[in-house]
Amino acid sequence: MNALKLLSRTKLYWGLIAIFLIGVLGSPISSKGNNIFLSYGNLLDVLRQVSTTGLIATGMTAVIITGGIDLSVGSLMAICSVVCAMLLTVPGVTPAVVLGVPTVAVVALCLGFVVTRFIFLNLAKSRAGADAVRDVRLDGVRGLVTPGIVGVILCCLALWFLLPQIEPKFGVLGVLLVAPCVGLLFGALNGFIIVAGRLQPFIVTLAMMVTALGIARLTAGQNNAVLPVYTGSNATADFEMLRSLVFGVIPMPGLFFLGAILIYGAVLRFTPFGRYVYAIGGNEEAARLSGIAAGRVKIVTYAVSGLLAGIAAVLYVAQYRQGKPDAGAGLELDAIAAVVIGGTSLMGGRGSLTGTFCGVLIFGLLSNILQLHNINSNLQLVLKGMIIIGTVLVQERNAGDLLAYLRLPGGQAAHKETTATKRPSQETPSLNLGGNKK
Amino acid sequence: MKRRDMLKLAAFGAALLTTTALLTTGNAYAQDKKWKIGFSQVTTIEPWRAQFNKDILAEAAKHPNVELIVTDGEDKTEKQVADVENLIRQEVDALLISPKESAGLTGVVQQAIDAKIPVFVLDRNVDTKDFTQFVGGDNKLIGRAAGEYAVELLGGKGKASGNVVEIWGGMGTEPAHDRHDGFHEFTDKEPGIKYLLDQQSGDWKQDQAYNIMATALRNNEKIDLVYGHNDPMAYGAYLAAKDVGREKDIKFIGIDGLPNEGVQLVNKGELTATFTYVTPGAEGLRQAIKFLNGEKVEKTITLPTQKITKENAAQVLKDNGL
Repeated sequence: MNALKLLSRTKLYWGLIAIFLIGVLGSPISSKGNNIFLSYGNLLDVLRQVSTTGLIATGMTAVIITGGIDLSVGSLMAICSVVCAMLLTVPGVTPAVVLGVPTVAVVALCLGFVVTRFIFLNLAKSRAGADAVRDVRLDGVRGLVTPGIVGVILCCLALWFLLPQIEPKFGVLGVLLVAPCVGLLFGALNGFIIVAGRLQPFIVTLAMMVTALGIARLTAGQNNAVLPVYTGSNATADFEMLRSLVFGVIPMPGLFFLGAILIYGAVLRFTPFGRYVYAIGGNEEAARLSGIAAGRVKIVTYAVSGLLAGIAAVLYVAQYRQGKPDAGAGLELDAIAAVVIGGTSLMGGRGSLTGTFCGVLIFGLLSNILQLHNINSNLQLVLKGMIIIGTVLVQERNAGDLLAYLRLPGGQAAHKETTATKRPSQETPSLNLGGNKK
Repeated sequence: MKRRDMLKLAAFGAALLTTTALLTTGNAYAQDKKWKIGFSQVTTIEPWRAQFNKDILAEAAKHPNVELIVTDGEDKTEKQVADVENLIRQEVDALLISPKESAGLTGVVQQAIDAKIPVFVLDRNVDTKDFTQFVGGDNKLIGRAAGEYAVELLGGKGKASGNVVEIWGGMGTEPAHDRHDGFHEFTDKEPGIKYLLDQQSGDWKQDQAYNIMATALRNNEKIDLVYGHNDPMAYGAYLAAKDVGREKDIKFIGIDGLPNEGVQLVNKGELTATFTYVTPGAEGLRQAIKFLNGEKVEKTITLPTQKITKENAAQVLKDNGL
């Protein structure tokens, strides 16, 4: 492990540091002689601005590692933001209630059932010992009855909590429960159609993107894209908590983003589920033959993607004091760009959340720097696009190939053994700092 | 292997240095300006918004001691909020903002006010009262002017008669309702005026207005006047009439009067008249500079409208350098 290898292994961090250095060195100086880019407020702004895209990109990363893609996240965010805003401002049985409350009931029922069953299964496995694990079967009581009862109890609890809130308007806690659940259900529906119908994720989520936008507009009703659903001064008090700085240091949306990265990152890295995700992306057929329930794992990744879109929507409503059918428009593309910059391969099987975290921050810092220098906004788009291509070339180590193709100096095929056979499988993502390990 | 990596590193370092150098030289030139004013625009791809930016930049060119920063929100709330935050960090002396919508931008406008930056809200209001000034047009006023002129065209006060086709903008939008209400304040007093359509919306678009008018022409032997809520829709109606050879016996009135759009059409004689919906760009910047120089400014400024007909269209085009 010489120094250069280490450098190339951690190049993403270097990219992040480089962007940061450019920002610091080239920063405009304020009238009081302070470095504007480095000013505490500016860095907080960046963290807050990237947190929505960041949450979406977090869910997207796992989906892309399994070899899929989720184009519907922007529209799911639109639905959830409309539901969230309407519950907060309009009392009575609105379309948002009709959509939201049954969703929570269904989600509570399913979650209670699945989680309880999962716990029983693992208990049984640990009791059976390592050799007999594959033959463990649950009996009727532990496999169906008890999980069913738990699910019903959870469902009743959720309804008992939500139903009294319909007539006045919903409280913040109720909304925090409903919006992510709506996202979760639609995400799970994506996954279910992809797995059960054996369709391409691209087309299924594309269809969902259109459908969800329609549902968002239907839910909003008269308050179409021109008029935000959620206006009014009472709204500001409700969500003060979600806009505030936690301990006066980190903006709440940023905390959600960091939390999502840490938790989901740990899940992908240290749990069997995480290993399954990588295995499916590497070779789905092989994964299935080795006994992984590939379909279920995929459904879970899409569901989590929807869940995070729902959480992002709540933060959107809190920040902008409105929910609209056009919230989150085009966000899926920003998220995919950030994920790919972070070294996750669209082919699947390769990538990491640390990479995505860097990718999101690189993108955010870049926008911030360009804006601080007041570069023409149309030129900004061109620069951003070029930087995406450049970063991905470096990520994929194909810059040398490109130069060689153009017969330029410094170009030689970076790795002559780019055949699929030589690509190591991803059993140990744990050493994989920047994503790409060849 | 090693040599290539060294090359890469060297290239990377060089790139880093050049960008830094470029960026630093970039800010050096603006040091001798007295005022730094930031303007956050929603989007730049609509004709009216493009004219808005043109007006404000032309005004800025007249004040050599002002540095104007124009940002583009790309028609997204998130982007516009980020732009304004950025301008606050740059410690602008005054902030001009034309909000995408009231609710979404109120928070960040409040943030600017809390940072002691004077805020000038243009064209669309926000849900706070602490800003320095609001500058905008009044769609009702424009509707009234159009209604008054329509009555005049159809025979004058008390004697006016004729069949009117009104083509709405978006049904859910405030400007469309204001332009409708103002117009009807005058025309509803005339018993001779008949309305042929019941709230048909062309969504501000030329092609949709064409289809509405084509249907109206088929259903009605006699149409005397078309009132489009903006110039493109009035022009779409004109084209529909032209395609069936009836454009000569119909008068067309539009609104917005952009030099490169409505005024040109009036000058060619295709529209009878248009009423300007002036962009608040130039006036807003003038007011901001006035305020920075220590003078008092009013809380609200309503921009007047101008009637543009065949007589003055050529002059207006000349004034705008067309």
